[in-house]
Amino acid sequence: MKEILKVSGLSKTFKLSSKQQKLEKTSEKTKTAVKDLSFSAYEGEIFGLLGPNGAGKTTTLRMLATLIKPDSGDALVDGVSVVGQPEEVRKKIGFLTSELKLEDFFTPDFLFDFFSDMHKVPDDVRNQRKTELFGKFGIDRFAQVKVANLSTGMKQKVSLVVSLVHDPDIIIFDEPTNGLDVITAKVVTDFLIELKNRGKTVLVSTHIFSLIEKICDRVGIIVDGEMVICDDLENITKEKSLEDVFFDLYFERKGDEV
Amino acid sequence: MKNGAFVVFKKELARFFGDKRLLFTTIIMPGLLIFVIYTVMGNAMNSMLDESASVYEIAAVNMPEQLYQSFSDESYNFTEVNLSELDKIKEELSEKKYDLCVVFPENFREELIEYNSTAYRESIPNVEIYYYSASIASSNAYSSFCGILDNIEEHVSNVFNINFVQSEDDINKYDVATEAETSGTLFSMFLPMLLMTLMYSSCASLAPESIAGEKERGTIATMLITPVPRNQIILGKIFALSVMALLSGLSSFLGTFLSMPALLGEMNETVGGLSGEYYMFTDYLWLIVVILSTVMLFVTVISILSAAAKTVKEASTLVMPIMIIVTIISFASMYSTGAKEEFYWYLIPVYNSVQSMIGIFSFNLQPVNLVTTILSNVLYSAVGLFILTKLFNNENVMFGK
Repeated sequence: MKEILKVSGLSKTFKLSSKQQKLEKTSEKTKTAVKDLSFSAYEGEIFGLLGPNGAGKTTTLRMLATLIKPDSGDALVDGVSVVGQPEEVRKKIGFLTSELKLEDFFTPDFLFDFFSDMHKVPDDVRNQRKTELFGKFGIDRFAQVKVANLSTGMKQKVSLVVSLVHDPDIIIFDEPTNGLDVITAKVVTDFLIELKNRGKTVLVSTHIFSLIEKICDRVGIIVDGEMVICDDLENITKEKSLEDVFFDLYFERKGDEV
Repeated sequence: MKNGAFVVFKKELARFFGDKRLLFTTIIMPGLLIFVIYTVMGNAMNSMLDESASVYEIAAVNMPEQLYQSFSDESYNFTEVNLSELDKIKEELSEKKYDLCVVFPENFREELIEYNSTAYRESIPNVEIYYYSASIASSNAYSSFCGILDNIEEHVSNVFNINFVQSEDDINKYDVATEAETSGTLFSMFLPMLLMTLMYSSCASLAPESIAGEKERGTIATMLITPVPRNQIILGKIFALSVMALLSGLSSFLGTFLSMPALLGEMNETVGGLSGEYYMFTDYLWLIVVILSTVMLFVTVISILSAAAKTVKEASTLVMPIMIIVTIISFASMYSTGAKEEFYWYLIPVYNSVQSMIGIFSFNLQPVNLVTTILSNVLYSAVGLFILTKLFNNENVMFGK
């Protein structure tokens, strides 16, 4: 299998303001969000990053999506460095996270065209893709309704569709089902599996065990910014359930802290 | 191929022109508001001065027959009264029954005829005019009556004339400036100041929303995740904002310009009339280029502040100090004497634009200074663009909380 994503020694440290120092009950001026993280994802698989809140999942994904730069280490997306050629990387990935918002004023139809233009998608390809994706997610009926007037679930579906205008080979989803109702969540997870079947690579972050068990081929567990285990889901869950494996590793690492 | 900057430019304009409410508040309302307010103000001021058209009621004591000729104008209505009634008439002045009460000395006419500039005189005749300053009509009657008496006095003791005009045609014979120059000087006094402040405030009302607003709402991140280079996203935004600011500024400017006749009222007629007809097509062309380069600089500077700010509110606050600087520089130039000659003055941002506009309006701008202004504005905008790109590439600035 082709190694399409190779993360090696990724680290990221944030400065803490005095207010944050108090909140975190620490006198240190910096917080290491991600520490020397390495893993690989292969073509046509769904890779899950599992970890509690604040473990560094989102920071990792943001570095891979070139929104922020790593302090050290690098990641190669289909052979292209996120540090060296972020613009090339952006052509290859689709990134979806709750912090990427769509302008309330515009309609899904306009936004799809706008982001297609930003990705230099030819008009005929764009129209075909739009019909297909809008149909699949039921956006077609709301194509001319301003984002401001859409329901939360519909907004998220539009965000999802907009992140895929350029039909990327690698799709990075931060907490893909967060805040979605059960029906929409199922539509999204089914779609992730469909993407995988079409040969795409999907990287998701989550703290929901069932989601990992349901869709992921491989999983990496992150605690305190470090990868504690990274293997095929099958191998990890050979003896114990994923939940048990996670808590064993978590307490082993955190020890008396909890 | 679709250029990223152009795609962003189109999107920004679609946002602007697609929003009727925004369009109304930024383009139609400023000009309309200024026009209505200034016109109402101007008309009110002129109608106050126009009280002269009404008829003044004047109580006169001992007024010589012959003097009535000088007041043959229909706007004076005289009532002859006795000196003994003076106290009663003073009362009636405050009741606005009369506008003036004029008391001439007895034998006033005889004293005028006997007047000889070289002869020694024991006493000088005194005309007493009682008026009521709390009434505008009475004040106006007072000044107009005094004016006519002054003329009579000058006529009696006429030693020499100053700029005596025999007929209407001679009115402008002593002023060697052409009408175009007079008009130009007036224009160069207030138009650059108006243009600069209006342009700045329209930039300041649009740019923070487009940059800090998108940052605050998290919509800019969605654009930054696309392969379009950041400097192209910025360029698209800057150009779109410049177009919008220009339209908004133009609206305010038209509002002011069209209400000028009403605001200046009679003054407009006495100076021979303001008119844009004296300017050539090239004058207007250069004016537009100067304005365009200035607006671009304004938008760039305000965008930098907006990018550095965390919220629209913070950006609007940061923008104020520069507004004050722009206003002060523009106001100061109102009282300067024409455009500066040396080219190095035209390297100073804001000041160079004001000076260039003064030069264009007063017909004495050196081409080298015009070019210096435009080039330095473009250069400063380019430097600003570079800083802005740095800011857009800085994750703490763009995504920091």
